[in-house]
Amino acid sequence: MHLEYHRPQTLEEALALLGRAEPRTLPLGGGAFLNAAQRPKTLPQEDVAVVDLQALGLDAITPRGNFADLGATARLQDLLQADLPQALKDAAALETTYTRRHLQTVAGTLVAADGMSPFATAMMALDAVLLLQPDDEKLPLGELYPFRFDHLQGKLITKVTVPTQAKLAVETVAPSPLSRPLVVVAVAQWPSGRTRVVLGGWGDAPHLAMDGPEATGAEEAARNAAHDADDYRASAEYRREVAAVLVRRALQALA
Amino acid sequence: MELTLTVNGKRHTIDVSPDTSLLDALRDLGYTSVKHGCDDGTCGACTVLFDGKPAYSCSVLAAQAEGHEIQTVDALGGQQTGWDFTLDLHPLQEAFVEVGAVQCGFCTPAMLLTAKHLLDENPDPTEEEVREALSGVICRCTGYEKPVKAVLLAAARMRGDEEKARKFAAEAMPEVIPVPEVEAYRRVGQPDRKVDALKLVQGKPAFTDDFSLPGMLIAKVLRSPVAHARIKRIDTSKAKALPGVHAVLTWEDLPRVPWSTAGQSDPIPGPLDTFSLDNKVRFVGDRVAFVAAETEEIAEQALKLIEVEYEELPAIVDPEDALKEDAPIIHDEPEYVNFGESDPSKNIAARIRIDIGDVEKGFAEADYIFEGEYEVPRAHQAYSEPHVTITYWDENDRLVVRTSTQVPFHVRRQLAPVLNLPIKKIRVVKPRIGGGFGGKQEVLIEDVAAHLTIATGRPVKYIYTDEEEFIAGRPRHQMKIRLKTGVKKDGTITANEMYALSNTGAYGGHALTVVGNTGHKAMALYVGDGEYRKSPNIRFYADTVYTNTVPTGAYRGYGATQGFFAVERHMEKIARALGMDPIAFRLKNAIRAGEYHPFSLAWNEGRAPSPETIDTNALAEAVAKAKEAVDWDAKYGNPEWHTVPGKPHLRRGIGLAMLMQGTAIAKLDMGGAFIKMNEDGSFNLMVGAADLGTGSDTVLAQMAAEVLGVTLDDIIVTSGDTDFTPFDKGAYASSTTYVSGAAATQAAEQVAERIRARAAAMLNARGDGPEVNPEDITLADRKAIAPDGRAVTLAEIGFNSIHHENQEQIMGAASFMAPASPPPFAIQIAEVTVDTETGQVWVDALTTVADAGVVINPLTASGQVEGGVNQGLGYGTTEDMPYTEDGQPLVRAFKDYHVPLAAEMPRLKTIFVETFEPTHPFGVKSVAEYPLNGVAPAVANAVYDAVEAAVDSGPVTPEKVWRASHKA
Repeated sequence: MHLEYHRPQTLEEALALLGRAEPRTLPLGGGAFLNAAQRPKTLPQEDVAVVDLQALGLDAITPRGNFADLGATARLQDLLQADLPQALKDAAALETTYTRRHLQTVAGTLVAADGMSPFATAMMALDAVLLLQPDDEKLPLGELYPFRFDHLQGKLITKVTVPTQAKLAVETVAPSPLSRPLVVVAVAQWPSGRTRVVLGGWGDAPHLAMDGPEATGAEEAARNAAHDADDYRASAEYRREVAAVLVRRALQALA
Repeated sequence: MELTLTVNGKRHTIDVSPDTSLLDALRDLGYTSVKHGCDDGTCGACTVLFDGKPAYSCSVLAAQAEGHEIQTVDALGGQQTGWDFTLDLHPLQEAFVEVGAVQCGFCTPAMLLTAKHLLDENPDPTEEEVREALSGVICRCTGYEKPVKAVLLAAARMRGDEEKARKFAAEAMPEVIPVPEVEAYRRVGQPDRKVDALKLVQGKPAFTDDFSLPGMLIAKVLRSPVAHARIKRIDTSKAKALPGVHAVLTWEDLPRVPWSTAGQSDPIPGPLDTFSLDNKVRFVGDRVAFVAAETEEIAEQALKLIEVEYEELPAIVDPEDALKEDAPIIHDEPEYVNFGESDPSKNIAARIRIDIGDVEKGFAEADYIFEGEYEVPRAHQAYSEPHVTITYWDENDRLVVRTSTQVPFHVRRQLAPVLNLPIKKIRVVKPRIGGGFGGKQEVLIEDVAAHLTIATGRPVKYIYTDEEEFIAGRPRHQMKIRLKTGVKKDGTITANEMYALSNTGAYGGHALTVVGNTGHKAMALYVGDGEYRKSPNIRFYADTVYTNTVPTGAYRGYGATQGFFAVERHMEKIARALGMDPIAFRLKNAIRAGEYHPFSLAWNEGRAPSPETIDTNALAEAVAKAKEAVDWDAKYGNPEWHTVPGKPHLRRGIGLAMLMQGTAIAKLDMGGAFIKMNEDGSFNLMVGAADLGTGSDTVLAQMAAEVLGVTLDDIIVTSGDTDFTPFDKGAYASSTTYVSGAAATQAAEQVAERIRARAAAMLNARGDGPEVNPEDITLADRKAIAPDGRAVTLAEIGFNSIHHENQEQIMGAASFMAPASPPPFAIQIAEVTVDTETGQVWVDALTTVADAGVVINPLTASGQVEGGVNQGLGYGTTEDMPYTEDGQPLVRAFKDYHVPLAAEMPRLKTIFVETFEPTHPFGVKSVAEYPLNGVAPAVANAVYDAVEAAVDSGPVTPEKVWRASHKA
């Protein structure tokens, strides 16, 4: 339930509201998660006040050298039209339906994401960095998930930066083309050879399998990362083997 | 908080709480075209345009919408023009009506708005782009086929591309191979527009929840968090003290009336094992207490204030555990009323033991015995409109129940003892229904609202939440099925045996009849050949057991779905083991016209059986047509076709299933129809039947119009009101076109007879030609026409009969009881691509060729097939409702239950090969259920064809395929 609704006109005003001790106050992007009758388990379940970000102009998608800054309230659908790695756009398209993509924001999707999110998995592989206000704090996405709301208490994500010089491949297996994946593998490779492998498909957040100077050992790393990936949708044994297959395919796609 | 919303260009200043969703605000303002479905942006029925872009209004706060332009479907077309509210439709609305894209209509406004946005941005979209856009709106009725064609058609028309428009309109039509009898028909067989389509494309307030009453209270139900427990103590004092709460009811407040919630004819063919409220809970989600309050928020707060102390009991989740000697007893209440062989002391809700012929002799005569075990999951109907009921006392102190139901007359009869009211004190009104598929063949929530109306004297509305639909709906029965088949070397089946263990969950409403149909339909198709064909050897044993899981109920296919998964997987394996062509093997053993339905002497839904002969069966013709349509011979057994160039990890496969269903329940199902003629030559057709989006109002009107020589414009259909329409058993068992259609036809024939008599008298009174006999008069083109061409219009006859001479109300009334249950037959073929390394399956094409008798309306009939195929695809690939070992449901919301979306549907092809069923005036058989039944086994068989992975449990998930193919 929402106790209060605010639509601040400035970032300072928003931060003041988010910084209150009581009531618990959360930023509201599109509303796809926070307003749902059943909020995702990754979000706080108690009654909250909300700060609607729509007037703050945080929705720009801006190329910046070897990076792109994705405004926190840019919609997933907007990413599909932007100059971004095709695999990232595909992951955004796979994240949810056409209508929800017009509603879901970049930051909202990442904050609410569970382990089955192709977009969060891809963004984590790209080592996306969140810019938090106040204080211009930079937080790698992978560091957000273990203590999601401790990190964000009183803060606001204003943009998310992704490298555009890194190549990205995303591979999934799902019961049907648009159902939530059982296994999603995202592999990002930088010109230096640095390779990040992130797995999804289960749990509360994507899992970093490997971040190394080259791709050697990626398949085994994926198997290891899925060692306890058991849930009612698939077994860990299956996920281990399939993750390795998908990593191999992703690396082939990047080669 | 006060805010201003701009909706369709109008500004509304409203006072709402910060928590109010845009959906609720719009509906409170009267924009009821915006539908309340799942409440978390999965179903998409609440879609509006938000500054021109689609948005789920349930996921947007009203406050977020201030300063933005909101558009609903109300303003999609032009403005109302004088008295005619239906002119000036938007081209999208026109196209949806024209190609039959509207079934239940609940999601139609959302689809239209999404499509409008798409065409605003892209006037010439590809089919893929249309499917992508429509994927934000779930439709379980249409299979998306016709909505997609409608959007393409509208886009073409808006661009002025008439050639493409004609192409898309034609693609919405199925191929029909007609019988000669239909050549003379004018309305029967025509793709007439649905009689209810206009109001639905305009989003008019047609559904239960689109109606409100002053002083209406909101009902909520406290549900059990544990799977099995006694309620030791329940304290409602705090909840009752909450301001705005008008009633809190527990088991202590209600009489203990054992009943069944299964909507079926009297006597209910199942145990009476349910109470409105009880002192024991039997599944997570079972009812504990009812609350009526002034708002939803107060009602929810009141639920939290009810204190309950549970004494937890051991729970049963696996149906095999229910039969163990030391199993806890789920129904130990003394009021339990048995039916048949139900035995609550052993957790048995129903038991069937049927032996036809001499099965052991058949096995002894076989060259091979094939045995197999199969398992099929629970599955939810996933209709878009949740269960919703409004109850109130009318001015005559009669209880009115306005409810989204498939069975209005059963609701009235079954509620009466539970409420301690005589039947005559209850009126049940079925408004438009937003899909049901069997899930609303249940008196599931009407008693809640009614008890609260009785307790408060106030109107009460109760709507299931998304979570209630999944934890306390009535999904399909999970089953474990064993098959044993004796076969000769030449492929002749000598004996066939099935044992089905069916999980009815906590209550057994459909326990007997669902599993009965598992055998009755699926085990009747393959009778054997030669001497075995004359006297088949079939054994069907079944136990339906109680477990501490969600009660299961009716779902399209009704047990046959489960049975055909097992039988069609089994037949495939036998054919392959024998080295026979799987089609030839099946046809060799399939039942044929002129033969007895083997179960007709053994079982009839818990009632007296009677012999039935199969009069019509075009299965062989359907198979030939299907083989041609999919180019079977070029694919099956062709190694080259099975490979995907450049992708060695992919393999193609093709598989099939053959099917038979029934049409109504013989010697039981009955429906009535009234027709009266008006002065202008129009007619009121009043039927008790419940159109739940299937188009039954339309096809019944077509049959009446055929007899009366008019078009559908002259037939005003009223259906499903227990005060104003005759009895009809309701929309289930594939009966309406057959039973209610025959009643409408017979009532129309009575009316036609009176019209002819009056027309003859009027013509003869003119004295301007030879004497005319009534029986020589033809009714056509709104006229009664003599053999010499002289005619009087129906309007002239209407005025003459009502006002001018020998005044009478020309009317007819008839009822029709199903004399038989003629089976439709079908073949479904699936084409798939399988990833050999991951087990992922892509279903590329699904083809259905059916003998459904005469097709009254090819658009509505093919719509039924396409919708059924969509549900079958979900059943075959993604849909399941698993539980933890302690009885906690793992799927609690629509977002966790993936049903096929527009963009992931395969190519669909639908063909009808007609036969003329002699027991019906227009030769119809059923069309609604079989399309769901063959998809899952056809997909599983196609997967086997691709990678030799034998997946014998549904759904066919990537891991099952991966495991089976690695085993192979």
